[in-house]
Amino acid sequence: MRLLFCVFTISVSLAASAATVPDRFETLAKQADTARSQEHLPEAIRLYREGTKLRPSWSEGWWSLGTLLYDQDRFSEAGAAFEHLLAGNRQRGPAFAFLGLCEYETGNYDSALARFRSWASAGWGGTLEFRDVANFHFALLLIRDGRFVDSLYLLASVAPRLGDTPELFEAMGLASLRMKYLPENYPPEKREQVWLAGKAALYGAQSPKDFGRADEYAARLEARYPEQPEVHSFRGTLYGFEGKKVDAEREYRSELKISPNHAPVLVALATIDLDKADMDEAGVLARRAIDADSSNAEAHHLLGRVLLMKGDLQGSVSELETAKRLAPGSPAVRSHLAMVYSRLGRTQEAKAESAALLVLKDKEQVMASAQEKLGEKTREKAH
Amino acid sequence: MRNVLVIATLSAFAFCAPIAAAQSAPAESRQSFDQLLQAAGKARDESRDDEAIRLYRRAVAQQPESEQGLWFLGTLLYAKEQYPEARDVLRQFMTLRPDAGPGWAFLGLSEFQTRDYSRALDHLQHAMAAGMGGRKDLIHSVSVDVVCLLTRFERYDDSLDILTKMLATGVQQPGLIEPAGLAGLRLPLLPAEIPPDRRDLVDLAGRAVLAVQMQQYDEAESELHRLVTAYPNEPGVHFLYGAYLMQSHPNEAVPELERELDISPSHVLARVRLAQQLIVRQDFDRALALAQQAIQLEPKRASAHMMAGEALLAKGQSDDGIKELEIARTDDRAGIKTHWDLLRAYAAAGRKEDANREKQEIDKLYRSNQPSGSSAGGDIPQNQAAP
Repeated sequence: MRLLFCVFTISVSLAASAATVPDRFETLAKQADTARSQEHLPEAIRLYREGTKLRPSWSEGWWSLGTLLYDQDRFSEAGAAFEHLLAGNRQRGPAFAFLGLCEYETGNYDSALARFRSWASAGWGGTLEFRDVANFHFALLLIRDGRFVDSLYLLASVAPRLGDTPELFEAMGLASLRMKYLPENYPPEKREQVWLAGKAALYGAQSPKDFGRADEYAARLEARYPEQPEVHSFRGTLYGFEGKKVDAEREYRSELKISPNHAPVLVALATIDLDKADMDEAGVLARRAIDADSSNAEAHHLLGRVLLMKGDLQGSVSELETAKRLAPGSPAVRSHLAMVYSRLGRTQEAKAESAALLVLKDKEQVMASAQEKLGEKTREKAH
Repeated sequence: MRNVLVIATLSAFAFCAPIAAAQSAPAESRQSFDQLLQAAGKARDESRDDEAIRLYRRAVAQQPESEQGLWFLGTLLYAKEQYPEARDVLRQFMTLRPDAGPGWAFLGLSEFQTRDYSRALDHLQHAMAAGMGGRKDLIHSVSVDVVCLLTRFERYDDSLDILTKMLATGVQQPGLIEPAGLAGLRLPLLPAEIPPDRRDLVDLAGRAVLAVQMQQYDEAESELHRLVTAYPNEPGVHFLYGAYLMQSHPNEAVPELERELDISPSHVLARVRLAQQLIVRQDFDRALALAQQAIQLEPKRASAHMMAGEALLAKGQSDDGIKELEIARTDDRAGIKTHWDLLRAYAAAGRKEDANREKQEIDKLYRSNQPSGSSAGGDIPQNQAAP
């Protein structure tokens, strides 16, 4: 009888618990939402905490808790909430970016970058305003990772909405000068350079472009820091955007005097030589670029093109195949490879490359996927 | 300095909330918590800061919402220059006491140190708005950092405004020379970011700006002359001199402003100030052209719209002129001059109601006794220009 009573008591107690938990949860959830809408934030946070404790699968609760904590700059706690959310299946996209933002703020930069990549792969979710914030931080982490061109691509995409803001031009300055730093940890004595380069980059990237103002800041940068690495390279790139090829070439050559192994500059000059049909110097510069950075796909591509023009088809195919391995998504590499295969009589391979080229061209016309643009692309090398 | 600042503030900061926080805790843990706070307070009083920090950490671990524990832990960590941790603790504190001006101050000062400048500025301005209970050292530190940050964020006129207010309260000048120089030259750097070969330039400019703000015109003239002579080709120098000359020798200002435009072709304010002087000379076409260029470069610059409006009105294009002045009026910094211009324009156009509204606005602005704006290298000081 005693045993029976105990079992009965336990079963009654379990039944009572099963009946009250949902009620309690529903009440809590409602109270939490009300507290949040009335901006009683500490109370809302407390209630969402209780609610998620009671029902760990409550995605909306984790989301609200995470975003509320994030808004209060409580990034470690917010990050923990988003991690819980990501353990479930819902709202994964924006949650990745939120977690990335939290990890950025707590200094877990490598992990934060991985989160932003996941966010991009999941489709860049979130409102336009949120995407701008996430993209901006994603770009900062790409700068830290030495992926300056990718970073500038992202920064330019947010520039029309963020406008001439100090945060934006600072980031653009770091990327333009190829400085693998975050805004909060670059050497203070570099601030003037970063500011001037950032302003020039921002005005050059605006829509419509304001090259007049871009040149004014770039000229100040060059006048103030003529011997600093990256300054002439940046000026050359800006002139390149403006279509001033002679000026661009002059600046690139000035940079080489300061940084003789600057692979992107060697590549840029080799490209100019190729346009001028100066095959000899183009070949020399492309080889120097490969020596400086053997993972530079464009350097191999250029050398492949030079060798093709000179009739060295075997040498060309070897370089172009290396370029393809390093940058499988480059339509130009596939195009030249198809050409060389064709000349070598390797018809099947030529056809395969032409087919791949068409696919890539189609993709390029629509828009390359986030992963292709920012996932596994060729790693740039910082100087 | 930082230690002095913190100690002065700690002793002055009164709390009542810890009692409430402790009330909800069980008796046993409350005793332990109270004992920890007491021991921590004793260690703090005896300047055993490391021990105090250790004890406050234990107390906060027991009661994470203890205002007293968070406050003393945060400020002690700040005093020990452990800024990231101080920042995190103070952030937690501010969620409980968003009304505490000194809390925003220490949070902002910590964020300044961790180079989170955007948040630092936001929180330091919050501290200024909330008030810091008359703690002069703290107010001074916060004000200096705000001046520096506003300059770094290219809000030079706001920076100069605060500088002017600080000088009006009799603040000692030496620590303000570099911030004043940077704002005057419109260089978005912090003092710590000034390249070594620019220190002399910034120092000279800073002395000149402070002299102008203090209305020590002989000294200002001498400093500015030295500046222009030593750095004739530096961006910002001729504008600074030209803006100063606008008050005393307007005709001499014109070549200085023109020289600035040779050096800095996209200088918005040099165009605005030049347009201002050209209107005085009744060269309305050139003034309008300059004002319109300024608007193109910086569409939100109220003073550029004001100059365009004045030039258009003077040319007899009253509808367009009024439109420009109405754009200028939407800016928060729009002052009495814009309203006077509009009053006259509306009256001339027979728009009596609009004119009356402007008159009321002018009366309100006079009553509120707004500061007259900066004159050292800044925008047009709008409230100086009553007819």
